[in-house]
Amino acid sequence: MPLVDLGAAIALGLRYFTIIYLTGLGGLFSERSGIVNIGLEGIMIVGTIMGAWGTVEYGPVPGLLIGAGAGLLFSLVHAIATVTFRVDHIVSGVVLNLVAIGLARFLSQLFFGQATQSDPGIPDLGTISIPGLDLLPLGLGTAFEGMSPIVPVAFLLTIPAIYVLNRTRFGLRLRSVGENPEAAQTLGVRVAPLRYAGVAISGALGGFAGAFLAIEINGLFREGQTQGLGFIALAALILGNWSPIRLLIGSLLFGIAQAVPLRLSDAPVISLLPEEFIRMIPYVVTIIAIAGFVGRVQPPAAAGRAYEGAAT
Amino acid sequence: MATAAEPPARRTSRIRYDFLAGQLLALGGAFAFAAAIGSIIIIAYNENPLFVYATVLNYSTARVQDIAQVLEYATPLIFSGLAVAVAFKAGLFNIGVEGQYIVGLMTASAAALYLDFLPAFLLVPAVLIAAMAGAMVWASVPAVLKVRTGAHEVVTTIMMNGIAISLVAWAILNPLKSTGEQLVDLRTNLFPEEALMPSFAGTFGLESVIPISVHLTLLFPLALIACALVWFFLFRMRLGYEVRAVGSSSGSAEAGGISIGAAQVKVFLISGALAGLVGLNHLIGDKGYLGSNYETGLGFAGIAVAFLGRNHPGGIPLAAVLIGILLRGQDGIAISTELPTEILIILQGVLILSVVIAYELVQRVLRRRMQQEVAVTETTAPAEA
Repeated sequence: MPLVDLGAAIALGLRYFTIIYLTGLGGLFSERSGIVNIGLEGIMIVGTIMGAWGTVEYGPVPGLLIGAGAGLLFSLVHAIATVTFRVDHIVSGVVLNLVAIGLARFLSQLFFGQATQSDPGIPDLGTISIPGLDLLPLGLGTAFEGMSPIVPVAFLLTIPAIYVLNRTRFGLRLRSVGENPEAAQTLGVRVAPLRYAGVAISGALGGFAGAFLAIEINGLFREGQTQGLGFIALAALILGNWSPIRLLIGSLLFGIAQAVPLRLSDAPVISLLPEEFIRMIPYVVTIIAIAGFVGRVQPPAAAGRAYEGAAT
Repeated sequence: MATAAEPPARRTSRIRYDFLAGQLLALGGAFAFAAAIGSIIIIAYNENPLFVYATVLNYSTARVQDIAQVLEYATPLIFSGLAVAVAFKAGLFNIGVEGQYIVGLMTASAAALYLDFLPAFLLVPAVLIAAMAGAMVWASVPAVLKVRTGAHEVVTTIMMNGIAISLVAWAILNPLKSTGEQLVDLRTNLFPEEALMPSFAGTFGLESVIPISVHLTLLFPLALIACALVWFFLFRMRLGYEVRAVGSSSGSAEAGGISIGAAQVKVFLISGALAGLVGLNHLIGDKGYLGSNYETGLGFAGIAVAFLGRNHPGGIPLAAVLIGILLRGQDGIAISTELPTEILIILQGVLILSVVIAYELVQRVLRRRMQQEVAVTETTAPAEA
């Protein structure tokens, strides 16, 4: 097996990693504040369509930001439903995903004149290579050549994320309302605004990840292009035990699992399987990972529970 | 305001009346809100909202064949709505109806093609059973994983959906591939005539008013029977009671001696069986073969139908008909206005979300009022005694 293929698989895996990790990191903030967000997929879809539109109109950087902003606005629907109206978190998340599909078709019709995709070839940010790593021998260097600048940004985002969660007043309070809202309220912490903030962060990062997918990877908006990556991000979050570092590792694993079938279909063992079965690999990996790890992880204590407030 | 002198019986009936009125109020409010949002979008497109809504209604109810068309669209949605609702009653989210019915399409096609020696009165039931069995197998994986390992069914069912799509794509290309010369259209052989579901019009002598282009079949009455059966199961059978107990309070259910895991697995299998029937109207009521461009999205639409129908077997057919009207209305909008037809998909989403929120609000108000009444009776009762 030529290592160039492996390098190419890692390069593609890193792109999938970026989508999964950014979305998962958003989900982490939402869930640590106590709001389960299975609407991440829908938030990403809104990010793809708005990001693609923003790029066509204003260029890739505004496009990414418009995608993030749209994701944030869309996620507020989830915050209003779950925090203010105390709708079941899963119900609201499912509705978010349903609405996003219709909304994307509607907006695509509006922006691009067709319901299911934009014209291909929208501008991207250009590429970078990681100095040093791209010189790796045996073709492995291809993994770090021609990379979207967003990929290293996603890696580096881990540091501020950990800092905010563990060292800032906001992060500590956010976690306290996710673990024990009653106690937090007693200590004078206002639960609802923090939960709105947690959901908003998940919306911004999920929308950004969707825009990244449309702008930097596919070069267009296409219906169904998120392929359930929002749910895989959710799986990575569970696997990562709601901690940024472990989420990073889990996202890398899932990212590579996504890329392997597409880039290593000639590898031993894999080449024996029909193409359709290779495409099942990421899903099977996710199921096994979730089933094998779920008992050993600890979700935020109040995640998924409505907070009735001090009055009742 | 309740007084302590009021007899308990009258109070219960008044609470029930309040509850019903509240539900209707919530539904009306949610509809009004969705219609208002829709009107804003329609006006932004320089169209008249009243005309648009009238067009939707006109296209779906003007003639018998329009109503039949709406019911055809509603048929798969009733099954998928029921599948979602039954699991939801046990506190489970079957997001996997999509994958389950896709696998059901595959097993049903296998039965239709390989059991072609059976007479029609046996082959059609065999196809139905094969569809349900395939979907149940698909549903059993997340169910068992949920109970055994605690893996959340939302994530696992979504992954099973992805696997189902690849599996069926493989089946159409390999074991079920048509034997005839076909270059473009990837599909199975045509099913034998005996495997097809009899049409509604043919069975009841309505050919004069329902043209053959409308594929309303006996699966529609079957869907209504399924609603009745689900109602009987949930509200008149022991397992149904256990399922509802697990869904409303798993702690109390366990304390009451109910095995939560067993109830959840069983109800998930029932949900899977219902899911298996979702794709059949397209498969054996319309096309008569399984092609790679089979109907998708019916499982996710079922989630919407279940929420709109309040997860109740009485509400689900109404919700399915409503979505059927919106689907039929798209034709009208495409012909009579300049609007993109996707506006009705958005309206559907707004409607679901507002219905969910409205019910939540009404329930909260009712709960608070009930608490107040209990408080009033408790404080005044000792004084009387």
